[in-house]
Amino acid sequence: MSRPGFVLEVDERTPPTLFHHGEGFRLEKLPLGTRVVYPPEALAPIRHVDAAIAYALENPRGSEPLRTLLKPGMRLTIAIDDISLPLPPMRTPDIRGRVIEHVLELAARAGVDDVKLTIANSLHRRMTPKEIKRAVGERVFRSFWPDSLTNHDAEDRANLTYIGKTDRGEDVEINRRAAESDLLVYVNINLVAMDGGHKSVPVGLGSYRSLRHHHNVNTMLHSRSYMDPTASALHDSTGRMGRLLADKLKIFTIETTLNNDTFGKPFEFLQKREWEWSIADQAAYLAAKRTTDRTPPNLKRQIFHRIAAPYGITGITAGETEAVHEVTLQNVHRQQLVEVDGQADVLVAGLPYISPYNVNSILNPILVVCLGLGYFYNMYRGKPLVRPGGTMIMFHPVRREFHSVHHPSYIDFFEDVLSETTDPAQIEAKFEQQFANDPWYVHLYRSSYAYHGVHPFYMWYWAAHAMDQLGDVIFVGGDRKTVSRLGFRTATTLGDALDMSSETVGSSPRITALHTPPLLLADVR
Amino acid sequence: MMGALTKDVRRVAQGWRWSHRPLVPRSVDEPELTHRDFPTAWARTEAGKAARAFLQRYGLAPLLRAELTTKIEGVDVLQSLAPPVIFVANHSSHLDAPLVLTSLPPRWRERTAVGAAADYFFDVWWRAAATALVFNAFPVERAGARKSTRLARELIAEGWNVVVFPEGTRSRDGWVGEFRQGAARLAVENGIPVVPVSIRGSYQAMPRGRSWPLKGRPPVTVRFGRAVRPQPDEDAGAFNDRLRGALGVTVDEDRTTWWDAMRRDARGEVPPPEGPAAPRWRRVWEASRPLPAHGRSRAWPARR
Repeated sequence: MSRPGFVLEVDERTPPTLFHHGEGFRLEKLPLGTRVVYPPEALAPIRHVDAAIAYALENPRGSEPLRTLLKPGMRLTIAIDDISLPLPPMRTPDIRGRVIEHVLELAARAGVDDVKLTIANSLHRRMTPKEIKRAVGERVFRSFWPDSLTNHDAEDRANLTYIGKTDRGEDVEINRRAAESDLLVYVNINLVAMDGGHKSVPVGLGSYRSLRHHHNVNTMLHSRSYMDPTASALHDSTGRMGRLLADKLKIFTIETTLNNDTFGKPFEFLQKREWEWSIADQAAYLAAKRTTDRTPPNLKRQIFHRIAAPYGITGITAGETEAVHEVTLQNVHRQQLVEVDGQADVLVAGLPYISPYNVNSILNPILVVCLGLGYFYNMYRGKPLVRPGGTMIMFHPVRREFHSVHHPSYIDFFEDVLSETTDPAQIEAKFEQQFANDPWYVHLYRSSYAYHGVHPFYMWYWAAHAMDQLGDVIFVGGDRKTVSRLGFRTATTLGDALDMSSETVGSSPRITALHTPPLLLADVR
Repeated sequence: MMGALTKDVRRVAQGWRWSHRPLVPRSVDEPELTHRDFPTAWARTEAGKAARAFLQRYGLAPLLRAELTTKIEGVDVLQSLAPPVIFVANHSSHLDAPLVLTSLPPRWRERTAVGAAADYFFDVWWRAAATALVFNAFPVERAGARKSTRLARELIAEGWNVVVFPEGTRSRDGWVGEFRQGAARLAVENGIPVVPVSIRGSYQAMPRGRSWPLKGRPPVTVRFGRAVRPQPDEDAGAFNDRLRGALGVTVDEDRTTWWDAMRRDARGEVPPPEGPAAPRWRRVWEASRPLPAHGRSRAWPARR
């Protein structure tokens, strides 16, 4: 039986608290009285995953069994979440591959010949063949790659279908093959509450024309938070799009949820509560700390990106999108939700080496901001963990480094846009169209492995709500020039950062720290 | 590089209190966590036995002799016994376990394990390792004895003698406290004899709160009493009472003479081991009265 999450109050008996610091770690002695939010322990995983998949497909919610939807001569498209999920990538076999195999078994038995598989990568970079093979499994890859197993291309005008407008005038445009299929099966991994539901098809298989209606500053300012779909303008918009799509297209959604078992040996100590560290955990920490401190960043990155999480599956639900997602969210909440009483003046978090947009890549400064002010700040429902005008302190080296293949437009965004302004609304108004329609970026997105030209803007918008609310943002251990370009401040130590924050929150602030990994969602009352 | 490593190690050592008992933050609504599952089987391997024999013979015993004036009596009772037996002793000092162990003849000592409080001796790894190696100790849970009984039962089944302090903790006033029934139950279940061991002087030499004996080599006596065997159909409670009585007689014997103690026992006049019913300070005062220095025994009784 896993223990629920809880809020620790730091006292003199509390050992130092572990924080991520990019591709490294920090132990910080937090001030007495600091509250540390610990996520629930990993839920017991489903033991017979294949049986659970078969059961879900045969007993869907709000839909007939998949078996009865499959007919000879039909056009079947299977879309899956891309490499942005889960984080870190899960150990093989990937749950997407396992689910797809079940779907294809049924399709083969039903005599369905016309089957295509699409990676719902939206404006993310294409997945490499190796990455796709890892996600779908060797059997599926060998059967369908490269002709019938492809990345979605949001800039291939010939292969996009305009569906129509929502009642709020939002354009809905998605992958042509998906739109023209008799049945679209979407297989997701719902790592956090933001994922899944109607966000899967309209976003994952959408185009810039469609995405701009919700991936914008105004929407993000009114998504409080986007981890709480009931209070998120982002989800309101994707919900309208998804319902429009559901009227025109038969969608069979299969959603899966994972437990919190994020790091196996030798990094198990990362997800343990510090006062329960054994001697072996302390030794593992020391070994990892010494190794990461002495290893060059490139090598460290390679080592860390080889980590595969031993996630267990906590839920597999199939059927009509909204009915499925209701169950999925319950499973996510069961694993991640922690009640927190009241807001703090200062929120402290350690940022890891990975975000959804730098798997096998570099967490560049813009992605650091997105991870910290986008994801970590928004890991709440109810109220933010930190009060309006409060301070957020994060640990990360924030090096000025970019992956030139994956993130070319990020380099120009950092150099040309952020040097002029860091205000999301101004950036959106002045620069977005230029980057979104730049033919070179479009070319790299389509033919190389580059994120779309507009993607760095979305990352910046993701942080807009936090930037709007926070009075100060301080990166401990960050590169001073780089952080300055981002519009924030740096400190050498947590003590210095707290001293600096006293300008905005006073000298005896209420401090809340997030203990991640694993992930958590604070239910702030 | 060494500087950074030292800094990291120091940080972990201080944060996790390597030299102290690990603590759990107060806001954690869970029982205190200790390393009570510390494995001790390694200390009973041939290598462990050899290391222990060396440490006890050339470390522990000379140290005790250097710091205390010890007198060991009644070891001859062991001649009529064969392992496994349970040694039950009164307990008022950390000196008690080493005193009992070093008082045993080597062939008994090397087959003897000591029950030690899990929450005290097995809370940090270095203390647990040292206790397991030097004293052949095994952890005893003081709250909820099921687990400790299981381990002791396994050791007895393997032929190990076991030293148990049935009071469960060191006496606060120097007198013998209530006996828990663990030792009696083990004896009854396994049908093995129990040897009462009286320890006098250790409270005066090194009571609670001291980590080293008083200066001046204070006198301490260890006396092995006659073995007590559980009777057929005797339950653990009754045997426990008898055991406590036998320890009282052994203490009385050590205080006076075998003959006087035996006669008082026959008359039912053995002074109660729990001491006089008096205010605490008087009990402590009485218990801390130094023992007469061990010297050459008098040929004639001292003039009164």
